Amino acid sequence: MIAALSEVALALAAALAFSSLLLLALGYDAASSLLTMFSYGFGNPEYLAAVAAPLVLSALAFLIPFKAGMFNIGGEGQAYLGALLFLYASQGLGALGIAAGALAGALLGGLVGALRAFLGVNEVIASIMINWTLFYVTLFSVSKYLTHPEYPHRSIDVGFSLGAPYSLLLAALAALAAYALLYRTLLGYEIRVVGSSPRAAAYAGIDARRAAVISMAIGGLFGGLAGTLKVMYVGHIDATMSALFGVGFLGIGVALIGRANPLGSVASALLLAGMIIGGHWMELRLGTPPELTDVIVGTTVLVLSAPYALKLLLKGGGLGGG
Amino acid sequence: MSRLPASPLAIAALLIVLLVVAGLVAYRTAFAPEVKVAVLFDVGGRGDLSFNDMAALGADRAAKELGVKVDYMTPKDLAHFVPLLEDLSRRGEYQLLILVGFLWIDALDKVADKFPQQKYALIDAATGKRRANVAEFLFREQEVGALVGVYAAGMARELAREAGGPVKVGSVAGMSIPPLWRFHIGYLFGVKYFEAKTGTSVEFAWVYTGKFDDPAAGRRAAETMLAAGTRVLYGLAGLTHVGMFDAVVDWNAKGRGRALAIGQDASQEWYNATYIPLSGSKRVDVAVYRAIEMVVKNAWQGGVVVLGLAEEGVGIWDLEGVRYFAQIAYETKKTKVPPQQIVEIVSSQRGKYIKEDVQRIARELEEKIRRGEIAFKDPRDEGEYEAIIRELSRGNLNAALAKGSVG
Repeated sequence: MIAALSEVALALAAALAFSSLLLLALGYDAASSLLTMFSYGFGNPEYLAAVAAPLVLSALAFLIPFKAGMFNIGGEGQAYLGALLFLYASQGLGALGIAAGALAGALLGGLVGALRAFLGVNEVIASIMINWTLFYVTLFSVSKYLTHPEYPHRSIDVGFSLGAPYSLLLAALAALAAYALLYRTLLGYEIRVVGSSPRAAAYAGIDARRAAVISMAIGGLFGGLAGTLKVMYVGHIDATMSALFGVGFLGIGVALIGRANPLGSVASALLLAGMIIGGHWMELRLGTPPELTDVIVGTTVLVLSAPYALKLLLKGGGLGGG
Repeated sequence: MSRLPASPLAIAALLIVLLVVAGLVAYRTAFAPEVKVAVLFDVGGRGDLSFNDMAALGADRAAKELGVKVDYMTPKDLAHFVPLLEDLSRRGEYQLLILVGFLWIDALDKVADKFPQQKYALIDAATGKRRANVAEFLFREQEVGALVGVYAAGMARELAREAGGPVKVGSVAGMSIPPLWRFHIGYLFGVKYFEAKTGTSVEFAWVYTGKFDDPAAGRRAAETMLAAGTRVLYGLAGLTHVGMFDAVVDWNAKGRGRALAIGQDASQEWYNATYIPLSGSKRVDVAVYRAIEMVVKNAWQGGVVVLGLAEEGVGIWDLEGVRYFAQIAYETKKTKVPPQQIVEIVSSQRGKYIKEDVQRIARELEEKIRRGEIAFKDPRDEGEYEAIIRELSRGNLNAALAKGSVG
């Protein structure tokens, strides 16, 4: 544990050092840039909660199938579908719309898991295709059926909202639940065994197909919730899809920084959310281009997740270990 | 304990120094206030050489000419609009927050009433509500659309004379939102006006791609239209219509036919001067500059400001405008062709494809609009917009007019 933490601290220092060099090379004041990024980024707790909550969930969407040896790149599509279903269901059902969003994601995840388990369809390729299909399905639904009567560029308003603090609370509870599932239940144990060593799992009589379907369904559930929380905070889906696009992908980075640990994901989601928020103020105060924020966040993801990913590879257990 | 007792003289001296410093600070803040303005872009941000870049252009000009301090911010995605706007308003350090584009409507609606002291300028969009602390800048896109319609029809006529076939114009548009409705009405009006004046019948095509940031979608839409015989394509989709430009350039280069493109917002001729001889202007920079000017000159007024031909808010880019943007594009290495050469090509292409009679018709129409003899309708909803388009398609020009008539 202490070794892991000090490794993270070291990696974070390396990421900041690299970012400083980059800022200096481009002619910006590195110290005040990063100071601005971090002080403003973590200065508004409610804002931070709103940005971090969906990231925690999209990290969980990646992480649980990952433990079963699968690469759920479909967090994007699950988030789109969850957001769309929540938007629709919350009109009449209010808070129950959250369940609709989560369920939609779970069904989608389970479907991809089943395709993999029973037909051998690669879940990465299936998910990439489904992501784009759902991107356009969402866009189409928003501009055709759920359009706001006054503002044609966006959907009608959501019918229910939790508010940022409770969203983060929900995300944290989800992370706790995911942790308990993985490390305190038989199902979680089976999922981890299948991921670490499919042959040992088979020898122990664990049904790998069941683990694949269930882990993907649970991942999908969290993916659907990620989209739900995002659209809940914004209040609507707009025709640029800018709020939803990327939620699932960034979740992969969040999960890897958190060393594929549900509780670690909460910490890493807060870190990345703060950096993204702070990037805006860095641009405002020091005139750094917004792309530079992306580069700094990207570098941080890369450096922080590299030791963990490398270790998994060296261990020879494949990517799904842990 | 100390060797020197604090002498009254020293204390007095210290007090004087403090007073002078305080006085200077007070003087600076009271009599030489520096106006600070923040420009908040939409999600795309700068680098589009069009909408957002023009907003920055206006603010930069204000910084130089009016001596204000301008800072910029580009929200990462829609989830950041409200909290950023709220944080900035709460801090209150910027006298004016300029919000660029329609994506800001919701955030402004949620935030503006909570901070009555904070001034906001919304560019190219309207909330539909009147607030003393919000100035909204809109454009009469119908007016530039109408002029472009006349020119496009004229250019298509020349292309049809060269190569045969029907006279057909079209547009690759972004999303179906009010500014695009106004462009559509104007463009179709201009084409029908040309028909009425010359007796040449012109076919018209209009496609919504649904996106402002997808060149691939623009290219696909343009290729379909070109294959259907469209000669002149008007780009009304931001980054999306860059794909339309590419399609038109390729269409000519591969010898599949002759076609021309028309740009919009910024002067876009530099992208390929031979095949983009014309651009309509929508002076986002003028709107931004005016908003800042209102604050600097203590002439703030909430409400809607509409900029048209008469206010130099829209129009057709002249060769000076073409040179200006060609220069920027050249300096930022977006084109290798020197500005002078671009201007020469544009000038000769305009001479070749915009004949004397077309120029006369366009000038005549422009004068009518400038003098206020005619004014266009501004549809409130999609139903009204579609009704106007239906009438225009039938050749009923006056259906698009709120004031005056054309014969």
